[in-house]
Amino acid sequence: MPDRLHFRLKLRRGPLFTLEAQESLPMQGVTAIVGPSGSGKTSLLRALAGLDMGVAGERRITFCNKEWDGPGGHVPAHERRIGFVFQDPHLFPHLSVAGNIGYGAKRCEVTSFDAIVEALELGPLLDRGIDGLSGGEARRVALARALASNPAVLFLDEPMTGLDSQRKSEFLPYIARAVSQARVPALYVSHSSDEVVTLADRVLELGQGHVTGWRTPPMRLTAHVVAETGPGVEVRLDGAEDDGPGASIALPLRALPGEAVGIGLPVESVHFSVHHPGAGSAIMVLPVTVTRPAGAEGQAVLDVLGQSVRVPGVMRVPSARTLWMSVLRVLPRPMVVDSTK
Amino acid sequence: MTVWPAIWLTLKLAFVTTAILLAVALPLAWWLTTTRSKLRPVVEAITTLPLVLPPTVLGFYLLILMSPTAPFGALWLRVTGDTLTFSFTGLVIASLVYSLPFAVQPLQTAFASVPQPTMDAARTLGATPRDAFLTVALPLARRGFLTAGVLTFAHTVGEFGVVLMVGGNIPGRTRVISIEIFTAVETLDYATAHVLSLGLLAFSFCVLLLVYVFNRRGGVRVA
Repeated sequence: MPDRLHFRLKLRRGPLFTLEAQESLPMQGVTAIVGPSGSGKTSLLRALAGLDMGVAGERRITFCNKEWDGPGGHVPAHERRIGFVFQDPHLFPHLSVAGNIGYGAKRCEVTSFDAIVEALELGPLLDRGIDGLSGGEARRVALARALASNPAVLFLDEPMTGLDSQRKSEFLPYIARAVSQARVPALYVSHSSDEVVTLADRVLELGQGHVTGWRTPPMRLTAHVVAETGPGVEVRLDGAEDDGPGASIALPLRALPGEAVGIGLPVESVHFSVHHPGAGSAIMVLPVTVTRPAGAEGQAVLDVLGQSVRVPGVMRVPSARTLWMSVLRVLPRPMVVDSTK
Repeated sequence: MTVWPAIWLTLKLAFVTTAILLAVALPLAWWLTTTRSKLRPVVEAITTLPLVLPPTVLGFYLLILMSPTAPFGALWLRVTGDTLTFSFTGLVIASLVYSLPFAVQPLQTAFASVPQPTMDAARTLGATPRDAFLTVALPLARRGFLTAGVLTFAHTVGEFGVVLMVGGNIPGRTRVISIEIFTAVETLDYATAHVLSLGLLAFSFCVLLLVYVFNRRGGVRVA
């Protein structure tokens, strides 16, 4: 049984918005928090972090059996050991890159400063001021700064806001690697399905200041790296036969042969059909067995090369025993630490 | 020249006032920037009063307050054995009140421009509020600190009404440059008045130039 973060909040933020939410989150892997803008995602993270204490309301927060807010008192933000990455990097402009990363490191007992700098490839930037950093570099520094404070939990509040799609696809693997390498549970606020597919182990939905429920986790298959191909790697889906479907998929990812890799399947890139659709533009077409059809019990469950996959409710699955699943696009999830089970 | 005692006294008064006022204004400005207290507008109004009140009004009340027959003045006399009125200490106290807004307002503006999320970041990285203030807010507000110091100094150098009310016109003790000029004109010693006035004019211009040049350069750097 993993540690959990329990919260019950009722906070009036302005005359029109009240955050009234209650949930218990497992403190393992990445929990995505999604919802439309104005649904209270950021307010929730800030309240959990012990910021915005000026907002009137009720707070009950327990983190891993330690009361953060409640009748027993209040743990101030600086004692919660939260690695908070904000929407904008908000680096300290008067400090160098190393000074920024070291700010939290200096204030905690243990830090893996060097490992983090290496994982995020920040070594060459350490002596620079933060003025000349590009958007992506500044975000890497912000992420490193949060990780170097040896946090008990990471809070990522849309850390890729304002990056163009090219920069996003460059930055996303850094987040994925950092999160899995640091072995720190994370709350990840996002409204991008790609980010959620790549990172999240579970997805909590918010709407208008309330928790509206858990969404089916993103569809994901596991694979192992077969070979490095220069720009990326070639992986084989677990359960795939030699030269069969899924035996060879190219991924833009850095990993070593033999390493396990998660493959996220974005909902909009997956189609089901009763007959083989032909290769077309699909990067793979896989045979699928329906182990539980969609119905009263909930979402459909499929068997894909021996791997069990739950299908999100929004997807249409034809009613047949065996199907073909064509996949137009996949998102790699480096070094997947399968912590959901 | 007989003007040197006045110049020396003025500089001494300005230095002492600036040093004390920065120390006082720093916590006050930070409190005004961050507090959610209902008292904030009241304190803000009181802090700004010396800016709009005629110096004679301010000086009059300070004179009443410091007089040996008033509780504060009497207490001072008993503790130190000296009266506040017509003394250097009295001048310093009067200058502190008179120049208070010039120290508080630049600092308050500078603190207000420190982004809240940057402070939040420091807090989540393990910095206590005091630590975050010292290591983030203060370095980021350093330009405001310099502006406050320079303006306070210059404003104290130029004060007249309050000094005249509280300190009178005692050579070497309370006669500052502005009063020396006043005295010179009254005695038709225009040469001395010219020298001192031109000196003050040049000094004030240089100080303001310094502030604007520095702030401008800082602004470009920040952008």
